[in-house]
Amino acid sequence: MKKLLLIPILILYLSAQEIDFNVAPDFNLIDIDGNTVYLDSLLETGPVFISFWALWCTMCIKELDAIKPYYDELDSIGVNFLAISEDKMRSVPQVKPFARSKKWQYTVLLDPENMMRDLYNVRTMPTSFIIEQNKNIIFIHQGYKPGDEEIIVNKLYELVMKEFGHESEE
Amino acid sequence: MNLKNSPLLLIIPLFFIAAADIRISGSNHAEYWVFVDKELDTSNYKEHLEDKLKLSVNYGDITLKGVLFLWSPSLSVQEKLNYLDYAAIYSKDAVNILYGTYYTTFGRGLALNAFLDEDFRIDNSLYGVKVDFKYLGSQLTLLSGEPRCIFFEENKYKIKNEEHTSDQIRGINFNTKLIPKTTLGSRYVRINQTTDLTPKAFTELFGGDIDFTIGPFDAYFEYARQWGSDDVIGGRVRGDGILFTTSFATPGLGISCQFMDYNDIGFGNPGYRYNEPPTPIKSGISVNRGLDEVGYGVSFIVSPLDFLTLELDHNKISTHDETVNKFKEIATISDNMDGVLEHVAKMTIYTTYDLEINGGVERVLKQGIELPIEKKIETKPNIELTYNFGSFFIETGYEHNFISSDTSDYYDHAAFFSIGKPELFVFTLRYERRNRIPEWLVEKYGDETAWPLAELSLDLTHRHNLRIRVGAEKGGLICSGGVCRFEEPLRGVKAVLTSIF
Repeated sequence: MKKLLLIPILILYLSAQEIDFNVAPDFNLIDIDGNTVYLDSLLETGPVFISFWALWCTMCIKELDAIKPYYDELDSIGVNFLAISEDKMRSVPQVKPFARSKKWQYTVLLDPENMMRDLYNVRTMPTSFIIEQNKNIIFIHQGYKPGDEEIIVNKLYELVMKEFGHESEE
Repeated sequence: MNLKNSPLLLIIPLFFIAAADIRISGSNHAEYWVFVDKELDTSNYKEHLEDKLKLSVNYGDITLKGVLFLWSPSLSVQEKLNYLDYAAIYSKDAVNILYGTYYTTFGRGLALNAFLDEDFRIDNSLYGVKVDFKYLGSQLTLLSGEPRCIFFEENKYKIKNEEHTSDQIRGINFNTKLIPKTTLGSRYVRINQTTDLTPKAFTELFGGDIDFTIGPFDAYFEYARQWGSDDVIGGRVRGDGILFTTSFATPGLGISCQFMDYNDIGFGNPGYRYNEPPTPIKSGISVNRGLDEVGYGVSFIVSPLDFLTLELDHNKISTHDETVNKFKEIATISDNMDGVLEHVAKMTIYTTYDLEINGGVERVLKQGIELPIEKKIETKPNIELTYNFGSFFIETGYEHNFISSDTSDYYDHAAFFSIGKPELFVFTLRYERRNRIPEWLVEKYGDETAWPLAELSLDLTHRHNLRIRVGAEKGGLICSGGVCRFEEPLRGVKAVLTSIF
């Protein structure tokens, strides 16, 4: 049993080294309107914020509700928002009515086989990612607590400012 | 060479090919519990240690995935479960080829549903080959695999289909979107069981679906048929299942309806299924997982104002009853039926930016579900308040559960208080009480009437979360996607460390 304890300790140690092995994996998924969304195409227009959520996950819904007031401004400066539903096939019919009734403007994607959850190694719901245009994952956030939305939003503003700064230097 | 036992041989060479182009990512979930066993006195403790490490290595069009799971409990009868799953995937343009452990669902799961639910601790995987071709809006999937159903119950992980892990599942699934706004699907699954009494016998599941969208309306219909072999008397048995769902979605309003009728479509055994027909019940309960079920669900969610969301659900599933007419069979639960009738009403109000109020009532009638009691009605009003002040937040809530059964009436009530700081911690105190204990509960869960609990959730970094829980958990029937288990009551300490890298 003691040997087993070594695994989480090793993981903690390794990730504390800040090894940067986080390039966002490519994907394409169907959204709730039946359109195919490609990560690559979105990154051409700006950074991407991804939030993994599900109908049963109260904190996920709270997170998406909390970010909603910032959507218009961040969208206007090029940030792409993806809300990836991890609901299984049996719950897929409820996803679109739920998202629409909430007046979310995010692109809501369906992942009933949880392939994205596996691809992005998501263990806690919600987990959110910020991906910059060069495909690096620069921010990962597990769980949601009231107020976390401000940290996420500030990170997005910082990123957009940084990318604008780079463009003006060029 | 047995590749199943030597997956590292597939991974190691990649590190030497071109280290600069290799992408590595993964996660780790570790849990450690120390708890008092109900059969032992309080000076005797048991332990539970589990760890799940996932690693993914990508190089060009090739991805290798590995999952190492270790479970090491200190049980009086030593039982452990350790396994190493892996998958090698080649993906280029229209083709995706996988060898190893995988999960897949055909349609909405009436014919085949191999899925992983880590939150509920259920792992129904297939081990073998899966090939996908995508072309012009169409997708063809071919698969062959051996099933393994791992389930957590009574504080133990078990392979539920231990005698059937060498069964063979072969399947083909085809979906096409060639017609605008319409998706057509068809599928065939064949299961060869090694333990069939008649060696040449096998089970087939086949069916199709149609999904179309017109403006804000969506509709989906799926039909599946099972032709199986009868283990006992031999010969072929037949089953059918239909599922119909429709929805209307527009900003501020969402309505969804579903209807299902299953007759011997669930395949597997009472402890596991290779398919998993959907249940309409929100809390995840089904009656017998596709053997004899009829049900429907209506869900209505509206946000008339930006600060208000209302949600109403009315769902029912039951066995068939030929003594009543078809309408009554679908709409009600008669005395001859086993079933669940669920009503949920929820409201969320964002009074100001800093205050959120959630409230609701849930009423669930269960008949023939929680034996030994025949009928049980639970009515649960609840309220929750969240308030942000400065860089902190507090959350508090109360829920009451009136339980009335054919043998006794009693109630549970619980209150909680949390304080937290974003990206740092949440500390929660929860206290739950039961006013009295019916005799049937004592046999199952002991004679406890109070469950105090303290939990600290710490964000060590953005990528590491540690949760420590100290106190008592009540236990009870919990369900997800039609699969239920009795969660054991627990007194002790739980520590959970989740890492993502």
